[in-house]
Amino acid sequence: MNLNIAWLYPDLMSTYGDRGNIIAVTKRAEWRGIDVIVKDISLGTAVRELKSSDLIFMGGAQDRQQKIAGRDFLERKSPIMRDMVERGVPALFVCAAYQAVGRYYKPYQGDRIPGPGIFDLYTEHSGDQAKRLIGNVVAEILPSFWGASATPESDSGHARMTKRTTIVGFENHGGRTYLGPALKPLAKVIKGFGNNGEDGFEGAVYKHAVGSYFHGPLLPKNPLLADWLIQRALETKYGKRIPLPALDDTLEYRAQTAVLNRI
Amino acid sequence: MNIPISVIVILNNLVSRLSRFLNLGAGATWPGELALYAKPDILNDFTSDLRKGVIIVAGTNGKTTTSLMIKKILEDNGERIVHNASGANLLNGIVSACIKSASRTGRIDADWGVFEVDENSLPLLLPFMHGRQVNIVFLNLFRDQLDRYGEVDIIAEKWEKALKIRSPGDGKRGRQCADIQLIANADDPLIVSIAQKSALPTVFFGIDSPSFFLKKAEHATDSAYCPRCGRKLFYQGVYFSHLGVWSCPHCGFARPPVQASRLRSPLPGLYNLYNTRAAGCVGKLVGCTDVSIHRSLAGFTPAFGRQEEFVKDGKKIKLFLSKNPAGFNASLRTVIELKATAVLLVLNDRIPDGRDVSWIWDVDFETVPPGVQAVVSGDRVYDLALRMKYSGMTEYHREPELPRAIESALDRVRPGETLYVLPTYSAMLEVRKILTGKHIL
Repeated sequence: MNLNIAWLYPDLMSTYGDRGNIIAVTKRAEWRGIDVIVKDISLGTAVRELKSSDLIFMGGAQDRQQKIAGRDFLERKSPIMRDMVERGVPALFVCAAYQAVGRYYKPYQGDRIPGPGIFDLYTEHSGDQAKRLIGNVVAEILPSFWGASATPESDSGHARMTKRTTIVGFENHGGRTYLGPALKPLAKVIKGFGNNGEDGFEGAVYKHAVGSYFHGPLLPKNPLLADWLIQRALETKYGKRIPLPALDDTLEYRAQTAVLNRI
Repeated sequence: MNIPISVIVILNNLVSRLSRFLNLGAGATWPGELALYAKPDILNDFTSDLRKGVIIVAGTNGKTTTSLMIKKILEDNGERIVHNASGANLLNGIVSACIKSASRTGRIDADWGVFEVDENSLPLLLPFMHGRQVNIVFLNLFRDQLDRYGEVDIIAEKWEKALKIRSPGDGKRGRQCADIQLIANADDPLIVSIAQKSALPTVFFGIDSPSFFLKKAEHATDSAYCPRCGRKLFYQGVYFSHLGVWSCPHCGFARPPVQASRLRSPLPGLYNLYNTRAAGCVGKLVGCTDVSIHRSLAGFTPAFGRQEEFVKDGKKIKLFLSKNPAGFNASLRTVIELKATAVLLVLNDRIPDGRDVSWIWDVDFETVPPGVQAVVSGDRVYDLALRMKYSGMTEYHREPELPRAIESALDRVRPGETLYVLPTYSAMLEVRKILTGKHIL
């Protein structure tokens, strides 16, 4: 078995440890004997490279870098990504990418920046005086997340068996994101701000695509999400249920618990 | 409020002594904080006492080492210096340094102020430089503590703005101009862009040695796209992170020629060569000869925690402060070149370190050769251990208790060999305290 991972704009949208997500998915697949190829998809990359991928990842960016990637993403990459997401290809959109796949982003100065609307959400920046939402964050994955996957009972990882649903991370965003009716949140915030600091929810799920404000390395300390993405990728690619052998995640969960104990 | 400056100085020296006496900290910033409260423009008085001017060192990495090198070069040249040591690089730290060296009447008897300044504090400091000769060293801009500093581009924007109001011909009322000279890193495209936009006189330093080019670019790159036109930069070669010999094939923006220099770094690591070249440029600007600069640097002893050396049980211990991905990668590369057999990595997430430890995933631990043993410790020991696990390193050991981690790491080093310690800022202070036998406050 093998997986092709498309890493969108690794030279532009990789702000603060985003590579951790790629490393986590790659290692956790390889430890189970699945070959992984990571393809860097950036401005000059032909779209067929993206089309032939089994899992999509796109990370955070600074304003300048996001602007550079913006047009290429909207005109060339996002139409293909939309088809892929619709067909069940799993994706992870973190931080700036989470905002970028929405319907629009309203900066505190200037006009709305249109997005492809792969996710039914919009983001607003409430001004340079508005507080940035920064800090360690803890959330509880909603039961609807497991419903969103085609075969929740096939999730055989250690995390699933022990019914772990807590995710931890760090958030740092000025924009506030609001979900439309076609989109379900990923998790309920226990500590921190999440999508907008108002409604108590964090992230979004559409088919097998996940968006989150947990920036940078979301997956290493939340292996259940990493495994969920790997499993959805294999199932969509091979068209059958493929149980993943459990891994020893003792260290992963000790790191997670250490964060929980600190806040 | 109009308090005579002499009263402030006397009161503050008292506070400083009291604070040390009561064990409230080293007293490095308290006096300044208090003085700024009593007299917000107190720096005007101090800088106007300086006979020749001010040298400001700014940038993400290398401020402390570079400013210490400049201090050494100038002092060896017979100049009297006021300097904010030990990284107290906010306004309060700079004011404290001035108070400490002021006479009872509140006057400073010195030729130059040599101040390292925090990225965010540079714009706050410049307005106090009225009418003075100011040499500003721009070392580099890397990602550093996004939770505290924001993005690299935001810092660049702040600096550009700060320089603009100080430019000649823009001397609005109350903003008298300083005579600003820039000393800027030509190998950092964003720094060059800031310098050129300011239209201020600039001396560029850099490295012209293709043999130092990296074979494969590291991941933690901030500025591989043109700061002017936004298109991809061409690199003839990369020294580390986004520093290298670059040009933009689209708009023609390119690395400017650098001041010729054969100065060698007194410390290992390519990043110290940049610090050395920057300090050398400043030395030349203020009239030192090549020979005297060379001689000064040959006798340079490293700053606090920056390749600082200790000996314990016949084994050497070297501290390499490593607080962001670019710095950590540079340290890692240097200790690998020095043939390290064991390293101790310490990750804390306190305010001076940044609360966010995501950046460890941008550090290329995958480059550590097999056989090198790593001990990991710190507040976020499990995050670091996890990073080790996913980097494929097999020889790593975790020890949350720092004194035991140091012992354990030392056990893995043979007599005559060196243990390399790569700590974040607060971790570096802790390691130092353990090694020097002083208690942690």
